[in-house]
Parts: sequence; C-alpha cells; structure tokens
Amino acid sequence: MVFEKLLRIINSIMKKKGEQELSAHYLTENSSLRNDIGFDSLDLAELTVRIEDEFGIDIFEHGNVDTISEILKRLGENE
Amino acid sequence: MSILYLRFLKGLVRMNKFFWLDKQRGIAKTYTDLISDLISIKTVPHFLNHDNPYELYVSLLASVVFSRNVDIVDTDLSRTEKENLGIGKNHDYEMDFSELVEALDSPKKLVNLVLSAANSWRLGIYTSGTTGRPKRIEHTMESLTRACKIGDKYSDNVWAFAYNSTHFAGLQVFFQAFLNLNTIVYIFETTPSRILPTIEESSVTHISATPTFYRSFVFTSEKANERVLGVTMGGEKFDTSLVERISSIFPNARIRNIYASSEAGSLFASTGDVFTIPTRFSGKVLIGDDGELLIHKSLLGISDDIILEGEWYHTGDVVERLDENTFRFISRKTEMINVGGYKVNPHEVEKAIRAIEGVLDVRVFGRSNRVTGNIVVAEIVAKNTEVKPYIENEISQLNKHLRSWKVPRIVNFVDSIEQTRTGKKVRK
Repeated sequence: MVFEKLLRIINSIMKKKGEQELSAHYLTENSSLRNDIGFDSLDLAELTVRIEDEFGIDIFEHGNVDTISEILKRLGENE
Repeated sequence: MSILYLRFLKGLVRMNKFFWLDKQRGIAKTYTDLISDLISIKTVPHFLNHDNPYELYVSLLASVVFSRNVDIVDTDLSRTEKENLGIGKNHDYEMDFSELVEALDSPKKLVNLVLSAANSWRLGIYTSGTTGRPKRIEHTMESLTRACKIGDKYSDNVWAFAYNSTHFAGLQVFFQAFLNLNTIVYIFETTPSRILPTIEESSVTHISATPTFYRSFVFTSEKANERVLGVTMGGEKFDTSLVERISSIFPNARIRNIYASSEAGSLFASTGDVFTIPTRFSGKVLIGDDGELLIHKSLLGISDDIILEGEWYHTGDVVERLDENTFRFISRKTEMINVGGYKVNPHEVEKAIRAIEGVLDVRVFGRSNRVTGNIVVAEIVAKNTEVKPYIENEISQLNKHLRSWKVPRIVNFVDSIEQTRTGKKVRK
C-alpha cells in the first residue's frame, strides 16, 4: 500500500518532467532516486514535501535517503 | 643547486601544471595552454556570454590585461530579464597581444599583470538581489579579490569548481585558484554520482559550494577522502547534519561557513553558526535595532541599483548579536524564497501565474524542506473546476518563461487566499 502510494508520487513528478511513468515492476528496492530515476535536487525536494503531506513523515529528517528501500524504512514499511 | 636554477625549475612546473580540467567537455588545459589561448585572442565582446566556463575565463583575463570593462552575462537570467537590463546590444573590443608575448612568457607574469589592474578595470555582474529584480553590480579587481589569499603555502591547492561560473561565488573561487596558479577542476555540471570520483581522481584539496550542492553527493557515498583539506559553504542556513556528514566524508577538511553577497563579496567566515566580524571591518558592519545586518557602502561593489540608506546597505538578513563582534543568523527579512541558494521573488511568479486564463487569484510562497531549503508552492483560486487541469498544465510549462527553481512544484487549488490584517498575502 505504502509502495503504491510512493510510486504514485514519484510518477506524478516524472509526468511533470515529461518523462515516462515507471511501472511497479521497474522500481526495485535498490533503485536510486538520483542515479536510476534521474531525480535532481528540485525533484527530491518536491518528493519529500509530497511524502510529508501524504504520510506526515519528513524522510530526510535523520539524514539523506536515496533508495526506495530507504524511503520505505523511514515510512515504517521495510518491504 | 643555485637559487636561480630552483626558480627556473619551479617556473617549469608552473608552466606544465593544469589550469583547467573539465571532464564533461573534454577540456584539460595547462597554464601554458592558457597563455597560448589568451594571446591568440583578437577580440572580446563587451557582454561575455559563454556556455563554456573555460572560454569565459580566458575572455575575462584578456579583458583584464587590456583594461577593457566587460559584463558577464549570468546564464541564469531569462530572456525577458536580459532584455530589461539592456543586455544584447554587443560590441567587440579589438585586442592585439603581439606586443605582450614577451611580457606573458610565464604564468606568474600573467598573474602579476592581472593583479596590476587593481582599479583600472571594471567587471559588471548580475544578481537576483534582495528584491528579485536583477541588479547590475560593478566590481574592480580589488573588490573581486579582496577575500583571496595569495602565497606560497597555497601553491599546491587544487580547487573543485562547484558554482555557476557567471556568479560572484564562482568568480571568487576562480581568482583564489588562478592567483595561486592552482589547478581548477570544474564539477558544477558533473552528475552527482561522478562528483566524488572526480574529486578523488583529480586530487582536489579544496571545495567551495552551496549546501544544496554538497547534499547532492555526500550522502550517497560512504567512502572517505583524506586529501580534501578545505570545505567552504555558504548561501543558505547552517545545517548541522550536513556539516557532520561532510566531516565524515572529508575527515581532514577544515569546514568553513561563509557569509557573502554579490553586493559585497565574502564578508564573514565561521566554523560553526557563529560569525565573527573581522577587526578590519570595524565600524563598517552594524546590527540595526530590528536585528537587520547593515553593511557600509565602502565594502560594496559599485552600482546604481543598490539602494542605500545614508551610507548603509540593508542586507535583509536578521541576525542575533552574541557579543561585540559575533552574531548568528536568524532569518531573512524579505519575502524572497531561498531555493537552494537561488532567491525567488514570489511577486514575479504570481504575475506569471495570474496571466494564465482561468486564474482568479494566486499566492506564492516557500515550503521548507531539507533538500533545497525551500520549494515554490502556489495556491490558486480558479474560475471553475473545469479549468483546473488547464491551469496545472500551463504552470508546468512556465519554465519557458521562468528559471526552473522559480516554477511552483506544488499547486493547490483553494476557495480564497488567506490575508494578513493589513491585507497582505500570508507568505509563510
């Protein structure tokens, strides 16, 4: 459930960038936001704000996150 | 070995030392290459408008050697901003280096020639300023290099260049490195995953960058680099967790926080969040009754666009005085939104959104986050529900008119815009 919501948020950013949306199959736990998904600082800033609005958690509060599994861990769901 | 011979050897090393390394563009230039590129120049335009930072700085040095006043066109300016500033009506300065070939037979002589331009050459640069309207500020070699440290003990430094080359901070790194004949490694446009490897491969010893730039790469690596000795950051609020992380990646680096502005250049440095006013600025830095930091006009570049009150420039930065000579930053006084070190004027963004059909009212403000400090958010009152997708789409297209960091990343539709008691829009 958390993963689907996260994928939806990531895809809303991808769509605005004019890039192809990602499927659940493509996105793995080890996918890096910067290196694999191609997020820049502004994309990451938007992602953290949208996640905070959805889950009430600041994923960068205790340091940096870069992979999907790190985000899920911060959101309390280590799949 | 005679002293003369030692000097000769030292000179040889300098000639063959790399001046500029830009892996992405495939550029590797020694100081000898720099001089030969310099003396082959025939003309330099008044408005230096280069996408290639190496070419920009070669043209800049040529303008210094011939004392021709030039302007650096900020690559962040939009077309409209350039038009409003009258940028574009260009003219070329002709240059004949043939008589200077002998005078430029060593990099050291080039440095001395550049330094001798102290006040006879002027450089115009552009800044977003405290109001968001770009301002033109004129600098002399003296004001540009005031914070530079020159000496033998700096001669082996290797600088990572991590700023936009047309910005004041970039110019300061350039001159700090060039005046000591250091190697400059351009990493501003390097992809984050390649930044640390590039720093390692090029034996970088010093880095200066914004906190946002450091955040883009220090958290994704565990590997420590012991060669980096100096890390400087500035432009945003002090971030303790970032400083801790930088210390673990660069365990031997002295980390300094710099307070600088395009109007005045580097003014204060700190090792934590407490800034000390150097004794040489005694009487030239004031803290107003409302806590605003005021800078005396003698410390500023020359500009008709800088608004002074009496002899003082109001920085818009609110600080807390700790004792006679130290202070800490509290906040910005203005409504400007700081996105990763870039200032965004909410009024400019609101104007662009208000021009979209179906928008009845709009409020633009900053939403804080730990990645870029803030991102731009817009609240919009739409004419009706049907028009909302159109408005959202138009906003995502705004980067055609506005720089990317000015475009709202989050758009919320609301029934009405909240206002303060004085009728102003609430920005925070």
